[in-house]
This record gives sequence, C-alpha cells and structure tokens, in this order.
Amino acid sequence: MATRGNKGRHRPVGRRSNLLMAAGVTRVDWKDVALLRRFLSDRGKIRSRRVTGLTAPQQRQVAAAIKNAREMAMLPYPSSHR
Amino acid sequence: MRHYEVMVILDPSLDERTVAPSLDTFLNVIRTGGGEVENVEVWGRRRLSFEINKHSEGIYAVLDLRADSDTVKELDRQLSLTESVLRTKVLRRETAKS
Repeated sequence: MATRGNKGRHRPVGRRSNLLMAAGVTRVDWKDVALLRRFLSDRGKIRSRRVTGLTAPQQRQVAAAIKNAREMAMLPYPSSHR
Repeated sequence: MRHYEVMVILDPSLDERTVAPSLDTFLNVIRTGGGEVENVEVWGRRRLSFEINKHSEGIYAVLDLRADSDTVKELDRQLSLTESVLRTKVLRRETAKS
C-alpha cells in the first residue's frame, strides 16, 4: 500500500474529467456544431484537455474540427472585442 | 480521384429555392472534368456567428464530390469569383460518409 499511497492525488482538481467522446463518436465531424460547442468555453475558447478529459489524438481532432467550423462562421472565435 | 467535401456560404438575399439549381451550374465543372457529384445538401439559412461582408446570415450548402484535385480547385476558384458566394471551404474527405 505504501507504494501506491499518493496515486491519484492530482485527479479531482480539473472540473469534469469525463470522456464525452465515449458517447460513440470515433471520428469528429467538423459540421457537428452541437457536439463541438460542448468543447468551447462561454467565451469561445477551446477547453483544455484537463477539462475535457480527452485523449491527445481526440483533443487534436476536436481542436482541428473547431477551427474548421470557425472559419465557416459556425462557431465563434474567442472574443476580446466588445 | 479523391473524395472532397465543399462547403459554400451564399448570400442570404438569394431565394433558397434557386440555390440548388444555381449550384448545379457550377457543378458542371466537376462533371465535365471527369468527376462525379455524390451529394448536394442545402442546409438553408443559418445565423453566422460573426459577420461576413456585413451579412449576419448565410445560406449553407455542402457538396460531396469525387474528382481530381485540379477540377476541385477550378470549382473553388469559380465559386470564390462569384459575388453571391460569401465563403467556401474545400476539405478532403478520407472515408465515405458514414
């Protein structure tokens, strides 16, 4: 027990570390705005991995999808103005 | 020959019913270039999350194509030269649509 005593001490800090992608999405579609919205903060920033709980490849896929959707005005850019 | 996905945002002042036929005239570029048009999907009018050329709405359409890269490039060029097209995006579609 002594060897695994401090295991998991970092874990509960990040807010919701659930794998949203476990809901049956293997390949992120950049046209699925409703799904991608959930990976944005209310200011329009992409949520970090710590918060989303995604794996690195998933996070990259989501980030690329969000950026594509932004270019087509389907998602907002982070707003500093206004 | 590759699969492509082309998204087009059109001027919202167009009549939505005329969108599909007018897109079809552009798609002749693909057909004469030896490609095939697999699907044309007009999403209709949607709110833009920011203004493009002073428009706050746009008519979205998604085209699924199989064509050579030069053909798609030519299509994209012609679309972007058209006044009523606000924005286009061409993406490679790796696998067939699920």
